[in-house]
Amino acid sequence: MAGLALDQLSKIYRSRGKQPVLAVDRVDLAAGEGEIVGLLGSSGCGKTSTLRMIAGFEDVSSGTIRVGDKAIQALPPKDRGVAMAFEGYALYPPLTIRDNIGFALLRERRSREEVARRVGEIAGLLEIGDILDRYPPTISAGQQQRTSLARALVRRAAISLLDEPMSQLEPQLRAILRARIKDYLIEHRMTTVFVTHDQTEAIALADRIAVMEQGVLQQYAPPAELKEQPANLFVASFIGEPPMNIVDARLAPGTEGGGLIATSPDGLTAFKVPLAPALTARLGRPDIGYKLGIRPHRALVGDPLGLPATVVSNQWLGDQAHLALDLGGCFLVVVAHRRIDASIGGTVPVRLPPGAMHLFDAASGRALLHGLEAQEAAAA
Amino acid sequence: MTGAARLVLDGVAKRYGRAVVLDDVSLEVESGEIVVVCGPSGGGKTVLLRLIAGTEQPDQGDIRIDGKSMLGLGAEQRDVGMAFQNFALYPHLTAYQNIASPLEARGLATAEIKQRVDKVAALLRIGHVLGHTPRELSNGQKQRTSLARALVRGPGTLLLDDPLRNVDAKLRYEMRLELPRLLASFGSAVIYVTQDYREAMALGRRIAVLRQGRFEQVGAPETVYGEPANLEIARLFGDPTINLYPCRPDGEAVELLGERVPLAPGMAQLAGREVMLGIRAEDIEVATEPMPGSVAAELDAVTPLNVRAVLYLRSRDGKELLATVPEDDALRFGRGHRPVWAKLAPDRFLAFDPATGARL
Repeated sequence: MAGLALDQLSKIYRSRGKQPVLAVDRVDLAAGEGEIVGLLGSSGCGKTSTLRMIAGFEDVSSGTIRVGDKAIQALPPKDRGVAMAFEGYALYPPLTIRDNIGFALLRERRSREEVARRVGEIAGLLEIGDILDRYPPTISAGQQQRTSLARALVRRAAISLLDEPMSQLEPQLRAILRARIKDYLIEHRMTTVFVTHDQTEAIALADRIAVMEQGVLQQYAPPAELKEQPANLFVASFIGEPPMNIVDARLAPGTEGGGLIATSPDGLTAFKVPLAPALTARLGRPDIGYKLGIRPHRALVGDPLGLPATVVSNQWLGDQAHLALDLGGCFLVVVAHRRIDASIGGTVPVRLPPGAMHLFDAASGRALLHGLEAQEAAAA
Repeated sequence: MTGAARLVLDGVAKRYGRAVVLDDVSLEVESGEIVVVCGPSGGGKTVLLRLIAGTEQPDQGDIRIDGKSMLGLGAEQRDVGMAFQNFALYPHLTAYQNIASPLEARGLATAEIKQRVDKVAALLRIGHVLGHTPRELSNGQKQRTSLARALVRGPGTLLLDDPLRNVDAKLRYEMRLELPRLLASFGSAVIYVTQDYREAMALGRRIAVLRQGRFEQVGAPETVYGEPANLEIARLFGDPTINLYPCRPDGEAVELLGERVPLAPGMAQLAGREVMLGIRAEDIEVATEPMPGSVAAELDAVTPLNVRAVLYLRSRDGKELLATVPEDDALRFGRGHRPVWAKLAPDRFLAFDPATGARL
């Protein structure tokens, strides 16, 4: 086992007669030994190119990749100490599922007993223990994907690389398999990099997530930090489900007592957020546009100190309530862990704690403040 | 926009060769009501929609709209609107022309068409993109255009085939929360098809669970979730999937997860028989110290799941248990691999017959 470090890693695709495409743009990223890292982004963001460069299936345009203290970017894939699970599975059709999974261990000349034990263990963990004697073409896509995952995980390689490892999982297996895989990776201290477009999956598995967009690393942080301190509007709206509520805001002039004014899509005042005068002064001019964000479970519905809002929808989903509220013309999604007694069309108080608010520069998207209350106290 | 229709499915069956796709399916939908048809793929959902739309005819049973049998009538003779997950817009027409197409087919006057299209476009907040072709629309705008086309003539019956599948998370939640109010304003009888149980619970006044060609349960969302008719429905509704343990209770307790767990009085009738006991993840309380009546376990992983976190526990006898807590509460458990205690809520246990799957 070892750590992994990417240093200013770039990938440019060149083809004759076309503009070069900068797929990965100077990415710095380090994974400690035993750390689970998720590369997250939508299609074309550069996450898969990054993974394939680590594996050795793509040349590096510039930058370095180190495993431990050894630069590996010039080595062929088989000498890099990496195990990869491919999105397209790439199973060997003439081999049984058992032999597909055990193939690399047999090639390492491990004893039959050890191979049988490890294959049995990983197959049981991934719920494919009963199809070990079958052949890839005869099993479902979900089972093929789990076989491909088993083949990578069973090796306990220095670095495990997983490309969309759970996209085909049956919904009823998803939670338990995520939990078992995470337990297995932690148990064996496996340094892991996985690619996904699904933020729920990234948050479930990863110790740290690298959010990518257009080849650029937007933020690299633990899931809780991405939620609590998103670097910009892109990360703020990509991470979390339901997504963060984001509304327009501007600074109130000093003559109106300062603070922030949140506005509805029609440009009308929706609600006000009082700020300490020092903070109002520090933020800048009233003519700059801001975005104000609050996560759905941080808005406190039913809090008597709240502002009156109209109930658009109130849905109980078995273990959580989802509400839509109209607060001064702003559409807010609110999540609660208990049933909320509020009928549609009625009024319910909702408190938006300043400490849970995020403030962004509307033009650049950059985050300015996380938690207005804390800043207020610091500024006083 | 009127159309106080009422849709009745009466013993509908459909076979393809020897395969029975739908078997004795009955359902009534009031005008203004949303019934969500939910179930795994291959359960017959798409065929059901085709039968109602009139692109296929049933082998048995009747389909009535406003009391009138639809048997033998083609799609164009039925007062049914439809929107699909793949949008199915005409690529060479603008959003406006797409929405107007069902009205033009009926020969309405241009002024009347414009008034109706503008009204439905305003409700769906796509008034600013009516001049765009589908290629120039985002997925969310395409979906709204597709919905607007289905709604524009105020159909008595509206069929929605997984319409939120291909839209991004933000829009999916907004639409989930807005759709009931929007649809209610049209008064259609709505059949909404999805595989996502949360979407079903969010949107349906009632949910009809379609499995293997039959409605295995039709009821309010809370009933389907809280009192599932059988084991498979309990497994379909819930994320994480419900924890299941085969066991044999005695009069007042059951041997479970390596401990003797007292049972709620209502379970006394199960004494001495084999049952499959179901425990929902959110009904389990987890603490880092022993609690009265709790089960000792090892916490092996913490996997956050939206606003909650899944705790992966193993009991002393090696059984797995998934519990969930609000995400903020999960931080105190760190990365896991530590002893914890789990308190079960025996009054919320569900018991199933291991042979038939029926809830006991």
